[in-house]
Amino acid sequence: MDFILNKALPVLFHWGGVCLFAPFFLGVIARVKAFFSGKTGPSVFQLYFDLAKLFRKKCVYSGTATWIFRAAPAVILGVMLTLSLMVPFGRFKAPVQFSGDVLLAVYLLAVGRFFMILAALDTGSSFEGMGASREAFFSCLSELALFMNFIVLALLAKSISLSQMIGANIPMSWGGMEPVLLLVVVSFFIVLLAENCRIPIDDPETHLELTMIHEVMILDHSGVDLAFMLHAAAMKFFIFSGILVSIIIPVRTGNAVMDMAIFFGGMLGLAVLVGVVESTTARFRLNRVRLLLLISFALAFFGLIVTLWRA
Amino acid sequence: MMSLIDVCCILAVFLALTVLATHRIVGMIKLFALQSFFLSLVPLFLHAEALSGRDLMLSLVTMVLKAALVPAILFWTIRHISMRSEIKPILGFGASILCGAALIAVAFWISLSLRLPGKLTSSLVLPCSLATMLLGFMTMVTRTRAMTQVLGYMVIENGIFLFALSLFDAMPLLIEMGILLDIFVAVFIMAIVLNHINEEFERTRGSAVSRPKWGESQ
Repeated sequence: MDFILNKALPVLFHWGGVCLFAPFFLGVIARVKAFFSGKTGPSVFQLYFDLAKLFRKKCVYSGTATWIFRAAPAVILGVMLTLSLMVPFGRFKAPVQFSGDVLLAVYLLAVGRFFMILAALDTGSSFEGMGASREAFFSCLSELALFMNFIVLALLAKSISLSQMIGANIPMSWGGMEPVLLLVVVSFFIVLLAENCRIPIDDPETHLELTMIHEVMILDHSGVDLAFMLHAAAMKFFIFSGILVSIIIPVRTGNAVMDMAIFFGGMLGLAVLVGVVESTTARFRLNRVRLLLLISFALAFFGLIVTLWRA
Repeated sequence: MMSLIDVCCILAVFLALTVLATHRIVGMIKLFALQSFFLSLVPLFLHAEALSGRDLMLSLVTMVLKAALVPAILFWTIRHISMRSEIKPILGFGASILCGAALIAVAFWISLSLRLPGKLTSSLVLPCSLATMLLGFMTMVTRTRAMTQVLGYMVIENGIFLFALSLFDAMPLLIEMGILLDIFVAVFIMAIVLNHINEEFERTRGSAVSRPKWGESQ
């Protein structure tokens, strides 16, 4: 009984929160983009309706697809759920935390990506293979930047546990570490845009051969599989923005309701910011995306140098 | 106040890095103007406890000259020439970003063993000024267009300005004004020179096009 209360309940609570709230923020982004183009746009709960519709449908599989194609959506959703356990969201502490979990987090992301690429190749469509090759290339670069960011945060917090890095130790750092954290925030924001296929890197709404990266890889998924994929993508955005918001606003007022309100305000603000960025910038040409990710890496590297300099 | 200087210094290096990675000249000029703007704020934070008229004036003059006038002249220049973007850099953009990151590290490493007379207001000013200079050099030597090289030169000047600010108390105002004037004149002359150079190019290109091709009747 004790075990259930102390261990299982927080885990379920965490999962419940992530599953429930993740699609909401993508709806907010869509709404902001609609506002900028002078439309009313779909409801912020549109993704919930889509998911509900897809969960009632059955899957269609291509004749060439093997078990990898069928397993990938479940693996990706599982990876995101596992990953979400290591990330604290505002006042909710991460149920799983140990020294070095940040490495596991990054590699879990890589496992999810690996299966997504395999599934895309497994369909036998050259179109999906193209998307897979792009995803593999860009994710190499964004992983580099992500690692660099985590290294800086680890140095600042003197810990390699994600909960320590973006949790309690950062408020002290904002005192004299604004320059470094500024670099980390900008760099991480670029990584967030890249990993979640947002506009300067990839357009989540287009279905044009020339521009697609992420969307092209889920073209052959249908029904429940597609719902898994979409939900996992929403969770990925939720996890990344959760980390970024925890870096930017490390407020601990002591009042639980106030803390949650601040955290959700931050998440909403970030979603609106992503929407504004998506509406006001044009998607980069594919050969310039690389530069953006390299800049993100260089910023994090610069942050690392300044951190070492200060130490 | 100390950390505001730090933020300005970091932004200066960050913007120098983005200048290195930008291929459109308009974008480069805008980034340069932004960098100059942040640098012009630095004198305001130098003597936080007692803001003197000298600081205020230096800041104002820098802001007007470097963040408004020089970019305006550069914009005026590119309106008159047909250069819009850097087409063939000697070193690719990706490689120059990575080299830029390495140069930042080099700048910090060098400034470890650099001892300056007088007390520095912030420990980041010196390495960041060196890094800005090196990134400016990088922009200058890897670009082939005259206009992008001028912009690289302007970034170097910004680095030198930051370096001079770290010796602000030891330097008389006259020298500061001299530096500002120098840059102004330099840009002015370069604008004129560029214009002429471009016109020359225009003429030679025109003659090359009008030359009859092999087998073509006159």
